Amino acid sequence: MISPAFAAALDAARHGINARVRDARHRHPGFDAGALRVFLEHAVDPVVAAAAGADPARVQAVAGAACDIALELVGRALVGPAARARTVAAVWREVLPRLAGLVAAHPETVPALLTNAAIHLDGLAGVRTAEWIATLAALAPRLATLDELRRVGQVAAWRAGAAHYRAGALAAADALPPALALAACAAPPAASWPELRAQLAADPWWGGADAGHEVGGFTGFGGPFAQPPQVRAFGAGFVVRAGERCHLLLADARGAVLLGAGADEFGQSVPGDCAFSVDGATLRVGARRIDLDLPADGLRVCASGASLALASPYTHRVRVLPREARG
Amino acid sequence: MAFDFFRKISRAPTNPRAVARPREFDVADLYRGPVGGADGEPAPPQLDEKLRQAYFWIVNKAIISPHYDIEYNDGPAQTFTVGDSRRTLTLPSGQSYSSFVLLPLLTFATRRKCLFVGGPGRGKTASAVLMGVLAGAPVRDVRRAMQHGHPQMTIADLLGNPLPADLVGAQDMESIRIAWRKWLGMRVKIVDEYNRIPTRTQSALLTLMGDNYAEVLNQIYECPESAWYLTANDEQGGGTYDVIEALRDRIDVVVQALAFNTRFLDELLVRIEDDVRPEDMVPPELVFTDVEVDRMGEAIRAVEVPHDVRRRLEFFASQFELAEMAGGQFEYMTKDTARLSGIAWHELVAADNGRDRMKDLGCQTLNGLSVRNLMTLLVFAKALAWFRGNREVELEDVRQVLPFVLHDKLRPDPDAPFFALPENAAYRSDRVSWLRRLFDLANDDYARLDLDRNDAVGEMAAQFAQGLDGVSERETRARLVRIEKLIGERVKGRKLYGHLYDDLLKLKYLHQRYTNYLAWLRAQA
Repeated sequence: MISPAFAAALDAARHGINARVRDARHRHPGFDAGALRVFLEHAVDPVVAAAAGADPARVQAVAGAACDIALELVGRALVGPAARARTVAAVWREVLPRLAGLVAAHPETVPALLTNAAIHLDGLAGVRTAEWIATLAALAPRLATLDELRRVGQVAAWRAGAAHYRAGALAAADALPPALALAACAAPPAASWPELRAQLAADPWWGGADAGHEVGGFTGFGGPFAQPPQVRAFGAGFVVRAGERCHLLLADARGAVLLGAGADEFGQSVPGDCAFSVDGATLRVGARRIDLDLPADGLRVCASGASLALASPYTHRVRVLPREARG
Repeated sequence: MAFDFFRKISRAPTNPRAVARPREFDVADLYRGPVGGADGEPAPPQLDEKLRQAYFWIVNKAIISPHYDIEYNDGPAQTFTVGDSRRTLTLPSGQSYSSFVLLPLLTFATRRKCLFVGGPGRGKTASAVLMGVLAGAPVRDVRRAMQHGHPQMTIADLLGNPLPADLVGAQDMESIRIAWRKWLGMRVKIVDEYNRIPTRTQSALLTLMGDNYAEVLNQIYECPESAWYLTANDEQGGGTYDVIEALRDRIDVVVQALAFNTRFLDELLVRIEDDVRPEDMVPPELVFTDVEVDRMGEAIRAVEVPHDVRRRLEFFASQFELAEMAGGQFEYMTKDTARLSGIAWHELVAADNGRDRMKDLGCQTLNGLSVRNLMTLLVFAKALAWFRGNREVELEDVRQVLPFVLHDKLRPDPDAPFFALPENAAYRSDRVSWLRRLFDLANDDYARLDLDRNDAVGEMAAQFAQGLDGVSERETRARLVRIEKLIGERVKGRKLYGHLYDDLLKLKYLHQRYTNYLAWLRAQA
């Protein structure tokens, strides 16, 4: 059962929506009408109902825009049983109803904005999309404008593990009210945003754990590497080569991401090899002590910027961690 | 509401390729994705991207032409041998194109002239109309401006009529005003079934196509630069009237409408059920302004043709003009001399002995290439490279575009020994494949002769191109001796082939320039 507000909106725009469904069927031969019904009922309806509560006059506009997005998502199999990613539906269920005022004011933009972001983050292995959704849902009542939503979403994406957005996210936070910027960074309200920002900008591993992150995995198990990867230093990150494929590895305290890279970038990288020693289950890199769960044979330690990367012929994963020990 | 299926265009980039790009991450990318409306209007695409979007819109939505006969490979292609004739089906590993859509689009971008050939009802006219709509004209105007060739078509039908009142009252020719036909001012001109136009009217059309103006009773109408599309049901240009050769020569590319694939019948059904015609549905963002077409032309002309590609094209083109027995003087040993004399071709062939007629590519054709043909080939090779997002022509661009440019220009000799071989029998009817094969054979020969590394004539020409300022008498004499020595080496015990003939003429040219320079130097002393 859908809410009376959504039912009335669908009824009023019946002719146009039917035509759009027919069009979607033509464009997407595998269009799943069942998935559309489920998405409308479980994802779109809560948003329309919430928008009706915020501004009843905008229900029709919200329903129309939401249906258009739903048709696109179902047509592309981004929602429904065939969808690999689940974040889009979660955004509609858990975030958009909490942003009812903004959705009612910008029905064409707000759902599209967050839907695209959810699809984008789903495509980045290592990003904690549940954390991104939780942050947005928690901060939603404090977001008064579309610009604030946009910026908080960006900061939350970085903090959920999209390390490559770090610089952009800090710049986005600068334009937020300090209290909102602190909240987006999960800092105490009493903290000073300029001080926090300076620390975050100075040290990518500030506030992070000593153990760092692991990325990768064997393609046979759904990972990105067909072979144990080679790692080289590139800029402030690493280039990882596994078989014929190359990846850019960027990491900071909040997470690590693997992005597509070209062989030319691998060619431009430098070895970055670090001298190290292994003492039992401890790896020593200068003054740094690291717990090791890999054999010493063939182990390589690569340094780049503030990070170290560990690669071994015995694993399809790469461990990336701060160069200096954290408390 | 509009039928959106026809309004969707392919998302950029339509030809993604690995390019060196700065590693800067824009956090705004977070909100870019498949759902529209999130981040406002995107920036307008580059013109080559827009043309590719137009191409993909036409092949995916408008013209059902699932024929990828312009094949590109990014790596090894999968091939299959099919049928008793053991023909090859290739699955290209790179982005490939349908000539029936691509060549008309390149014609549009370069404002050239394209002939559609093929049986009735295969989309020739529909394609031409689409090009008119891409130029910004309403469908109704494009249809009304289309000229339909018929046996009673007069010059007045084609160009316009003198105003009757002026005809009666005028005291001189200048006073007679002409009601010019509206289509003369269109940026895309369409002549349907041009091979049904009477010969006299064809001559008026020739002036229009060749010189871009119309003339009636001494009154002149200057036409704007435009792309031309002509259609003919008969590939050879035959019809109610023979097409005059000069008119046929003005056509830059010929494309064939290939057969309809019945696996696509459902798409026809959609059009019937939804009562839509693609030409009515051209997305406005795919329409080009006159300024944009001008800019496309400039960008295409700026595409470079690298030296190695140019040399291979020169080598290919040099194969065909030589007819050793046609001339007594070296310069007149050409097929054109034979043609002008009216001598029977078979008599000329019978007199030609000593050469390997199977190996000599020139023996496969009845004629050579004109300057216009070569210029057209260069323009379309540049256009194809630009369309693919490149700023330099690749050899494959020339190879792909060449059969459509030379389709009606390089005429095969069906009695040549090459066509008598069973494996070459299909080339008698498939001119596109024959021309491509001809280019491949020329390239093989070029590689065999190692001309990329061993081109003494090219080196001499390059040396001459540096200029004669300051070249001493002694050096000039040395160069003359080198030319004579090289000619002696080249003609020693070797048969005369087309490329050697061009080399010898080039050496003679250089020799003459140095001889004149030497005479001038002596006069100074």
